[in-house]
Amino acid sequence: MAEEISESPSHPPETSATPPPAPPQQQPESEIFDPKTMRKTKPGLKRLFLTFSVLLSFLVGFPFLFKSVEIYRSPLPFGDIDNVSSDIISNPLLFPCHLQAIFLHSNPKSSINLNLEELELSIRSKITKFTSEAPPQCGACTDNFTLSLTLDDRDCSQSPSSFYKCGTIRAVDLDFSDDESVDEALKSVDLDFGGKVYSVVVVNGGDVDGVKAVVGKYRHGWIVGRDWGVGEVGERLAETFVKVFLNGGREEGLIHGEFMPVGADGRIVLSFNLLNADPSDWIYDWDFQKIDETLLTPMLEALGPIANISVESQVLYHTPKSSFSSWDEKLGSYIFSTKDLPFFVSFPQVPDYALYVPSAKECPLLLQLPNGEISKTNAFISPMWGGVMVWNPQSCSRDSDSGLPVRHLISPEDLQMVFEVFVGQFRQLFGIKSDSLYVGALGTYSLLASEKGFTEWELDVLSRQHTCFNLHSSSTTLGSLSRLVQSLPRMIITDEIGKQVKFSLEAAKLALRNASLGVYDASAVSSRQARSLAEDAFFHPSIMSVSYYSFEHCFAVYSPFFLPVSMHVLLAALREWRRYKQEKAKYLLWKAKEKVTS
Amino acid sequence: MALPPRWTFLLHLLAILLLLSSTKTFGSATDTEAEEEEFHEELLLKPLPDRKVLAHFYFETGAPPSNSNGHHHHLFPKAISQLVQKFQIKEMELSFTQGRWNYERWGGFDTISSNYAKPPGVELWAVFDVPKEQVDASWKNLTHTLSGLFCASINFLESSTMYSAPDWSFRQASGSLRYGTLPREAVCTENLTPWLKLLPCRDKAGLSALLDRPSIYRSFYHSQQLHLTSKPSDLEGLNLGIVLEQTLTVVLDPSSQRTSLTHISESYLQPSWSLSSIFGRKVNGKCVLAKSSNVYLQLERGLVAELKKNENYGADYIASEGFDGETSFELSVNPDRVLKEENSRHGIGSSFLYEFSVEKYSNSKPFDLGLTWKFPVIWSCQQAPLHSSRFLMGSGNENGAIAISLKSTDLNDSSLGANGASDGCELHVNIFQVVPWYTRVYYHSLQLFVDDQPKAVGDFVEKMHVLPSKDKISPGMMEMVLKLPCGVKSAALTLEFDKGFLHIDEYPPDANQGFDIPSAAISFPDFHASMLFPRNDSLKKSPMLSKFQEKSHVLSYTEVLLVPLTTPDFSMPYNVITITCTVFALYFGSLLNVLRRRVGEEERLLKRKAAGKTGRLSELLSRLSAKLSGRSQEPAQSPSNSSSLINSKLLLKVLLVVAFAVAWQYYFI
Repeated sequence: MAEEISESPSHPPETSATPPPAPPQQQPESEIFDPKTMRKTKPGLKRLFLTFSVLLSFLVGFPFLFKSVEIYRSPLPFGDIDNVSSDIISNPLLFPCHLQAIFLHSNPKSSINLNLEELELSIRSKITKFTSEAPPQCGACTDNFTLSLTLDDRDCSQSPSSFYKCGTIRAVDLDFSDDESVDEALKSVDLDFGGKVYSVVVVNGGDVDGVKAVVGKYRHGWIVGRDWGVGEVGERLAETFVKVFLNGGREEGLIHGEFMPVGADGRIVLSFNLLNADPSDWIYDWDFQKIDETLLTPMLEALGPIANISVESQVLYHTPKSSFSSWDEKLGSYIFSTKDLPFFVSFPQVPDYALYVPSAKECPLLLQLPNGEISKTNAFISPMWGGVMVWNPQSCSRDSDSGLPVRHLISPEDLQMVFEVFVGQFRQLFGIKSDSLYVGALGTYSLLASEKGFTEWELDVLSRQHTCFNLHSSSTTLGSLSRLVQSLPRMIITDEIGKQVKFSLEAAKLALRNASLGVYDASAVSSRQARSLAEDAFFHPSIMSVSYYSFEHCFAVYSPFFLPVSMHVLLAALREWRRYKQEKAKYLLWKAKEKVTS
Repeated sequence: MALPPRWTFLLHLLAILLLLSSTKTFGSATDTEAEEEEFHEELLLKPLPDRKVLAHFYFETGAPPSNSNGHHHHLFPKAISQLVQKFQIKEMELSFTQGRWNYERWGGFDTISSNYAKPPGVELWAVFDVPKEQVDASWKNLTHTLSGLFCASINFLESSTMYSAPDWSFRQASGSLRYGTLPREAVCTENLTPWLKLLPCRDKAGLSALLDRPSIYRSFYHSQQLHLTSKPSDLEGLNLGIVLEQTLTVVLDPSSQRTSLTHISESYLQPSWSLSSIFGRKVNGKCVLAKSSNVYLQLERGLVAELKKNENYGADYIASEGFDGETSFELSVNPDRVLKEENSRHGIGSSFLYEFSVEKYSNSKPFDLGLTWKFPVIWSCQQAPLHSSRFLMGSGNENGAIAISLKSTDLNDSSLGANGASDGCELHVNIFQVVPWYTRVYYHSLQLFVDDQPKAVGDFVEKMHVLPSKDKISPGMMEMVLKLPCGVKSAALTLEFDKGFLHIDEYPPDANQGFDIPSAAISFPDFHASMLFPRNDSLKKSPMLSKFQEKSHVLSYTEVLLVPLTTPDFSMPYNVITITCTVFALYFGSLLNVLRRRVGEEERLLKRKAAGKTGRLSELLSRLSAKLSGRSQEPAQSPSNSSSLINSKLLLKVLLVVAFAVAWQYYFI
């Protein structure tokens, strides 16, 4: 409508039938001065100045406007975050480790003819060789170790800075056929000096044939053998130190090195579920309370510095597995092959550890490995999630056809076995193998298992790795937070987030300092703190809710004013400027003409 | 071991003591083991006077206090136990309801209507065992947890405008009770599935296998509830014994299921039904984990009395408790037991319960209870002493009034007469009402009408507790005990209110629908809904029947009210911004234009143009302006044909525009 109205006044002249009037023919009054192209006075600057001052004041005002609509963002220490994360990534944590080897002779009178310096050199070279072979692992301490050797014979020759005092251990007192007693005896003389030193006792002689190498539950191992050279002893020692004590006896590639099944807040909830596939066949129950007290509590206490673990259990019913098993005549049982494992059970709740009691229709149920063998433990592990074990009742016949099933209790012996498998699975989640033998390059080492589930040296490895993992994770979290914050300029950042980031950085720095001092526990705790604070900051509820107040919103609110006004201002400035140029050209032309005429 | 003899003696003593203490603890451990986690499942069926059937599912899971600190469970759902442990819940009830309980037709005086008839939507109340200052925090966390557990928007109850803390009218709990409702919550299968997951057999076996989703959600009324009670066993309150009651109350229409049976005489008959016809499923044996699994069929007092009257057919039947062919109805399955209510107070008659034990039935022999009527029976349910309803008065978007009306039912005369024949007898009515803050209720405007006569409030109100609402902080709450004379025919309460304005962000989606005022709860403390059965051991085994024997106040909920509030045009703020900005921009632009205008130069230019243009154009222009200003045309020399031409052209244009506008109006709007 607006167009039509604006058009209408212009119509009448067009529609009039009369021809348009002839252009006025004006004759110039003088030959020199043409008022169309020239002017005699200087063009005025008043209006030009006015329009430009308006334009300028607008331009100057814009930053103030932006400042006024700016939202509050707590200043985050971006520089510090970058520093810490580059620090953690570029120089891996250097935990100090102390290693010591003690050489004994079964006959205390005789002396050991070994050259200490030569031996130390040989061990050091072997250790560096092992370290360079394996890819650098986070939390290892092979780059920053001290090595001390002691020949505990008549002369008692020691390398400088050794902890051990000669004569503390007497080979005669040890009965090397009983590993447990040796382990306890060595523990009783306090070989690890308050949890700082890893030691290997090398005994020459003894009544064993060949070489026997054992690693105990604490922070020591021993090697018994006869008449060996410096090279062999050196290699053996280096292998024990590097592969077992410092790397936890694990192979690379077993489970991703940086994975830790610990939640962001440093807590693990272990949930154990007993699944009765069909309670109308039979109902099994367990006395979990007892298992918790006898088996699990010592393990969880031992793992205390790494994570705060709580245990809960429940019994679920009517949980049939969701994939079929096939009957195998030869084995007399139902076979479930591992390739169907992803479809094993669809649980109502996601459990960590499940003990599956099959129904009578599919009893006994065995798991088949990909190579066709039957699984020995009848259990499988699901990384990052937990494990499932299938437990078959002893007789696979229903209780009675007519009556209702009775509630059975799984016998303590069976339950003991089941939980050994679960503990093994739990260890595997942490990346620690459960074999009792470690096969090295030069021979096998028997590893003593602790009744706590984890030996002390394993716990050391875990806590070193845990610290390292936490620090990495907190630095990556903070790094992505800082990237996110920098990429979204219209996001509110509350003071709380700023505080959390600050504290997280402080905790990370503290953990780094503690780690370099060798205080494992404290560094594990502060690294945990750093990680949980970083995660809290990243997942702070205020981040999500406000990131929708976008720039588009702001634009939509301000554009109805600024678009028309800016058009006026810009056009006015442009016109004035053009006019000024034109008038000036006229003036200059006249000046030139005047000069010529004059 | 060269210890002195005294030491060895002491050691012996210590060893003996240790032994003693260990056997003692062992003994106590076996004691607690004797008390196991239990599960009961029961179903009550009841024909209703308006040709419908009530089915009331009752599941109870109990966890005795254990020393495992609630971490290890055999039957009890872990999630609920963790909830109780975490928030220290003493008692809690959560109900999801769709539909409204029809108090007039389905009864208002029995345990089911008092305990299991709930207001539509979600109702949650909880009593916490924490210090008073922590109750609100616990409530907020609880709402979020339940919201996640039951896939419902219970988390909206977190806001302090949504819940209240009744002192005494709803339930006796000093300060640690919180109550909130969401009247508009839609209830569907996503709420039922997590509820079923809490049962040990879920819906795989037992009575819960009957819960066919389409038949439940096709029902007239269904209410799914979860009731928790916890009792600390020791002084520290660490080990809690928890009882979890899960009930589902459904009112189904059996006649809608069958279409062909339309015999003329049968139109007066109550519809016959069976479990498979109303649920589409049969019971294939009990849930093996249940300690008891029973189905009950209840014939209520009115029905029994009517049957007795009916030519003694029913009377014979009931008196002999046998099964003659000449009864008014026939059951497809013989009951295992018949329970007759011990009626001490009401002279009307006593109700009957037929008990069927599901234990005997299995997959090969499913349980399918059917009821076939032979003679038409008409009866009515027992009513609450006063029938309550609530409505809005007034019109417009500014103010209105809430009225609660209480009308006496016929029960009033008979039972109250028995209660106390003297004139001094009184009827107490508790009213509990929560009103959201945007309806600002003026409590001073409370008016009371008894038997349609305005009365002074002070004469009839025994006790009153009012908590006025605070804008955007807390809802208004009114608790009141009315003391009415026994012979009262009707009573009404009115309260005036102003409608508040909400901030633009506070409007919910679809604000034009209106805003809900949650149901008021009206209870009668003088009346107790309970059924008394002869005491024997088998009754103790059934938790549902023992629940029915408990005395509970007769309670009813009123309707949910829908208040239309003024809703703004939600694009208004932006429109305001735009129009203001445009005005400013116009002002600014014209100011700028005026500032840079060169008046002298423009005049010079105009003059030059006027001098040059001596043609028709200027003449026409001046004529046009003259015409517009209404003056008579001075230079009349010009030919009139041109002006008429212009006029006709203009007219044509205007007409065109009008036609276009009409077409637009016609076709597009």
